[in-house]
Amino acid sequence: MLHSFASWLSQTPASQIIQNVLWIIPLVQTLHILAIAVVLSSVAMIDLRIFGLAGRRATMMQTADRYVPWLWWGLLVLALTGATLITGEPVRSLTNPAFQIKMLLLLGAMAVTISFQRSVRKNAVVWDTRVRSSASIRVAAVGTLLVWFAIAVAGRWIAYMVLEY
Amino acid sequence: MQSFFEWLESWPLSVGLRESSWMFPAFESVHVIAIALVVGSIMIVDLRVLGLASRSERVTELSQTVLPWTWGAFAVALISGFCMFASKAHAYFGNTSFQIKMLLMAAAFVNMLAFHFIPYRSVSSWDEGASAPPLARLACGVSLTLWVFIVVMGRWIGFSIEG
Repeated sequence: MLHSFASWLSQTPASQIIQNVLWIIPLVQTLHILAIAVVLSSVAMIDLRIFGLAGRRATMMQTADRYVPWLWWGLLVLALTGATLITGEPVRSLTNPAFQIKMLLLLGAMAVTISFQRSVRKNAVVWDTRVRSSASIRVAAVGTLLVWFAIAVAGRWIAYMVLEY
Repeated sequence: MQSFFEWLESWPLSVGLRESSWMFPAFESVHVIAIALVVGSIMIVDLRVLGLASRSERVTELSQTVLPWTWGAFAVALISGFCMFASKAHAYFGNTSFQIKMLLMAAAFVNMLAFHFIPYRSVSSWDEGASAPPLARLACGVSLTLWVFIVVMGRWIGFSIEG
């Protein structure tokens, strides 16, 4: 079913334009990479704050308010540019295991982001007293950053995973 | 120069990057993640100096805590980039997008030095609040623009490289 949807999508005028205008894909990929820069750096800054290595003057709530909105706006740009890239190459992307793994990892990373955001709003004081030095939070912070890295790796792999039908 | 490039291309790592099915995407992935961290962290500092974000933080403190990570990520980008260059040195060296990217990076380096040695010397007077002098703002605007185009050119290399 996914394959027939992908085949249908590749025949649409939108897909044809993306396939035939040579500069669209590199341009959209560039925007995609710039948005990745925003997302990865926002996550990295929150991690540095959790480890007390940057932004020590700010509370965890202020840190979340500074970087989490950029993360979501970055993800919106990634979704729009990603959808454009999929439209240009639906069969190679949608049915690609690297793409499917990427989407699963992305769901996990988004769930962590939402729960982090909620927890900081709800327990602002606790985050600035006990939680910051907690080992499990530090492990989760590094783990989440590694998941975001893995999402980028899986994204790069879409172009290299050869599919045969 | 030609023999130097041939020597680079004969490295076992270069041969591996050309022949292996997974090595090139692995190096590209590391390169993209490193560049994302370089560009993102530079944006954070530039936007702070421009007064567009992190206004409650001191410019000095933000740059002292963020920029060491920028340099660390830059080292990773440089090494992974050099390895990819070595695998097809002739092709990259003759590639227009690659040449423009290197020139833009040289310009970003000069801009960084100019920022550091001219407006940043008086940083104590604009460390807090959104009151950086025009020269400091200019350098940070130039930096943001250059890094965007460095990413543009980097992506274009992949579409124009031959061989």
